[in-house]
Amino acid sequence: MNWKLWSLKKSIWVFHVNAGACNNCDIEIVNLLTPRFDVERFGIKLVGSPRHADALLVTGAGTRQASVRLREVYRQTAKPCVVFCMGACACGTGIFEGGYHIAGPVDKIIKEVDPNAIIAYVPGCPPKPEAMISGVVKALSAL
Amino acid sequence: MIEALENLFWIVIFPGFVFTLAVGLIASWLVRKVSALVQYRVGPPVYQPLADVMKLMGKEILIPQEAQRAVFVAAPLIGLAGVLLLATMLWLAVAGTDFVGDILVALYLMVLPSLALILGSSASGSPHAALGASREMKLVLGYELPLVLAFVVVLIKTAGVVAPGEQLSLAAISQHASVLSVSGALAFLVALLCVQAKLGFVPFDMAEAETEVASGVIIEYSGALLAVWKLMQAMMLVALPLFLVVVFLGGIGTSGWSLLAGIGKYVLVLVLVILIKNTNPRVRIDQAMRFFWFYAGATLVAAVILATLGNYYGIPWL
Amino acid sequence: MKQEELDNRLSEIEGELLSVERTEDNRIFLPCESEKAYAVCKFLFEELQLRFVISTGVDAEHCFEVLHHFTNDESGCIVTVKAMIRDREAPELESIAPLIPGAEWIEREMHDILGINFKNHPNLRRLILSDDWPEGVYPLRKDVKV
Repeated sequence: MNWKLWSLKKSIWVFHVNAGACNNCDIEIVNLLTPRFDVERFGIKLVGSPRHADALLVTGAGTRQASVRLREVYRQTAKPCVVFCMGACACGTGIFEGGYHIAGPVDKIIKEVDPNAIIAYVPGCPPKPEAMISGVVKALSAL
Repeated sequence: MIEALENLFWIVIFPGFVFTLAVGLIASWLVRKVSALVQYRVGPPVYQPLADVMKLMGKEILIPQEAQRAVFVAAPLIGLAGVLLLATMLWLAVAGTDFVGDILVALYLMVLPSLALILGSSASGSPHAALGASREMKLVLGYELPLVLAFVVVLIKTAGVVAPGEQLSLAAISQHASVLSVSGALAFLVALLCVQAKLGFVPFDMAEAETEVASGVIIEYSGALLAVWKLMQAMMLVALPLFLVVVFLGGIGTSGWSLLAGIGKYVLVLVLVILIKNTNPRVRIDQAMRFFWFYAGATLVAAVILATLGNYYGIPWL
Repeated sequence: MKQEELDNRLSEIEGELLSVERTEDNRIFLPCESEKAYAVCKFLFEELQLRFVISTGVDAEHCFEVLHHFTNDESGCIVTVKAMIRDREAPELESIAPLIPGAEWIEREMHDILGINFKNHPNLRRLILSDDWPEGVYPLRKDVKV
């Protein structure tokens, strides 16, 4: 494989976006990034700006208010990038199906901006950190 | 002609860009590995910083609409150029090719990376970047004076033992390990903390605070420009501890035991920086300024007095 | 204050209420008309020194109900004022936010979601609906389909 793909797989910087989540998945993501699970050995690092990120960890069913901001954050992420939908709500609105404030699950919101977006799904409510690691590793090996 | 080619070789390959970059990437890996071991976990593999830079080169460069394009693009290159010249000059001083007054040039060149950070973030057109820029400016105001005063202490210490015409030259200063005296030790301690602030490490990393101001100074940079910032930070990890070793700890020899001892001294300074980074929280900018002006300043005034007394009465260990 | 003292003091205000319902030992409901609700809350907050907890808005079939919950920390008793708003076309209630600043946001939320207008509210802006939500559509009313 060429050097771009190799380096992307070996060093993936994540940025966490909350698109209207109940915070359970956010807590699990923060747990994931603690020294106990040590994701730095995979090259995963938390960055503070979407411009530095290669992967967006999106939690929450996309609410109307958050969908505008999520689209903007996706546009500001330097491509190539992967969008990880963390949790049942992000994969397909979860228990908030049919609510009046939902603007669609996360992949529908992202595909409005970029129909060719690379999206990976990690189900769970909330997904365990081990499940998140396994999801990220599987997505990277499928790239 | 030959001399120009030779200079080009020194600057670009060895001991300039490529060599310092290689050592810088390994030093950057060392920082992450030691931090990981302190936190009781396995750290990243050896090629991790290289993979980071390669990945950044492969991503697109996004420039915000309100940014000043020319300054935005030029600032990281200015910073890189400053560190490159500093590192080349230091390695050449270690090898013996130095000139009188090069300590002043080194002090000037050390400001360039921080200045480039301030320029780049001011040109970013983002309120977070403006906040980071103001913090970086205040931090530079804080630590520049103690840094210069610390070297003044070294100059006073070496006044008696170095020939008067050669005092401002790095090679001459590096013959004497000033840290082995009370005033020298105090000055080394303050200079170490100033270097910590210049490298942008905790407890003084409030300019590039990831969680507070969303990576303040470099928030709008992406792709190859961000890679240049990371390269600059990696090369600063070589140049600044090397400067401390040359000025305070007696320099690096060119062969045999003194070379090994020199490398050991550099690793020691690097590990000290890493340990301070891992055991401290981030301080606020006003706390940092108060620290540098009052506590560091008072310590250095005491060190200067001790050094002058030591010189006057001929007591070498004071 | 102790539970018996609370019961005795509550009898002072019985004239303003429709009834006093006591579902359990530590749960008292005070239903009243919407015009009297402010006076009852003022009595509970100032005279009896009960602590305001939260408010609830309910879309009952034939009226709107706004419940203000107060608690007597010493005996663990929760006293709820149930204001019945009979007018379903333009529901209005006097806001208790000037008296209790902590009630400001929950009244804004009830205004957003149920459409109850609070008179004398210092800051009746949109709180939790999104910026592009159409005006006049109140999602939690039973007759609204979204």
